[in-house]
Amino acid sequence: MITVDSLGSLCPQPIIDISEQIVKNPHESKFELFSDDPATWPDLQAWGRMTGRKVSQLGETKFLICTS
Amino acid sequence: MGSVTGVFTSENRLHPAARQLLNDAIDKGWASPSKIHHSSRELSLLLEESRAIFASHLKVPASSLHFLGEPGLGFHLGANGLLGNGQLSLPATSRQELLAIAQGHSRSAVLPVDLEGSWQLPDGEPDDLLVWATANLETGAHSPNPSDFAGQIFVDATADYSIPLPARWSGALWDSKSWSGPLGLGILAISETALWKNPLPHIDQRVVPGDFNPALVIASAIALQANEVERVATITALQEINSTIRNFVVTQIGDVDIASPISGSAHLLSFSFLYLHAEQLVEKMDARGFSLDSGSACISANLEPSHVLAAMGRLTHGNVRLHLYPNNSLAEVEKMLVALKEVVTELRANK
Repeated sequence: MITVDSLGSLCPQPIIDISEQIVKNPHESKFELFSDDPATWPDLQAWGRMTGRKVSQLGETKFLICTS
Repeated sequence: MGSVTGVFTSENRLHPAARQLLNDAIDKGWASPSKIHHSSRELSLLLEESRAIFASHLKVPASSLHFLGEPGLGFHLGANGLLGNGQLSLPATSRQELLAIAQGHSRSAVLPVDLEGSWQLPDGEPDDLLVWATANLETGAHSPNPSDFAGQIFVDATADYSIPLPARWSGALWDSKSWSGPLGLGILAISETALWKNPLPHIDQRVVPGDFNPALVIASAIALQANEVERVATITALQEINSTIRNFVVTQIGDVDIASPISGSAHLLSFSFLYLHAEQLVEKMDARGFSLDSGSACISANLEPSHVLAAMGRLTHGNVRLHLYPNNSLAEVEKMLVALKEVVTELRANK
């Protein structure tokens, strides 16, 4: 699992960060994202719907992204 | 019509027909319409003529109409005035002013919406109130037919004045700016059969506090008449422009989430581009001569994303909101789209 730390960044940066890590690590299927921007969770869900990735919220600032 | 304005924001220049008349209306509109002087009687007649124009176009009795110098106050007067002890129901995509009323009421239900902005009509009891919008101000999404709702209905008609009120409306609010009339004028209708009680401290039977500029009422009535002629004449062209924009952003730009349902009001369009800062996008488009709105967090005063997009599950960053007017030509829109593609490509390359 790859961990992406976007704490302190405002949207769309957390979504850009996670997308970049997915491109850089094509063989990894699980990513953990940390973000404290209130727009991250609604945007992560929309991004997941648009790109076919499964997303879930594990904590207030912790999210899981599965690419397969 | 067909001139290049570059304006796609929710605020537009005053309609030329109203601008031409405004000076004259200010000359005649200084007196108090309730007094007995010659100037007052003349103004009173002009206001009655304007009231008749509004009644005819908005399809409500002239006697139900009230003018407001502060359009937003109409949400409070209308919804809180109709709300007794019953439940207030409203979709999560309602105007912030209405959601604030729900927050302050002991019995309220904020109705969830789906990806298209659709929501389920609640049953309701006779003393309940439903807030029903002719169209969503951001996305243009329409609401389900509320005729089966058992309680009273307050209509938010500020986004699309051309959609008829439901048969059993109790109150309704319009904003003069929605027909390119002057800013700072709201029009509130309270049905004669409604159970309405003034929610403000009051000293007489007036529904509204009474502070409005009569010149704006006269100019707004003229703007409504002129805008309606243009709206009807350009309705097919507007639908084509709407389709052109949808098709372009999907096929020529990509990674875009269109929040506006195809079945909604064609003059309102909202879509969001992945991986983009809306603030940068709006600034760069402005520099190219095109004024756009956005519902993204980075451009709002409180840094909160659009509650409408969030409630629908739509992408909130990289958002663009377009308000199309009868004088926006296809050629102008195509120029705007070319600029939009260049700006999005540039920003995505530098992300």
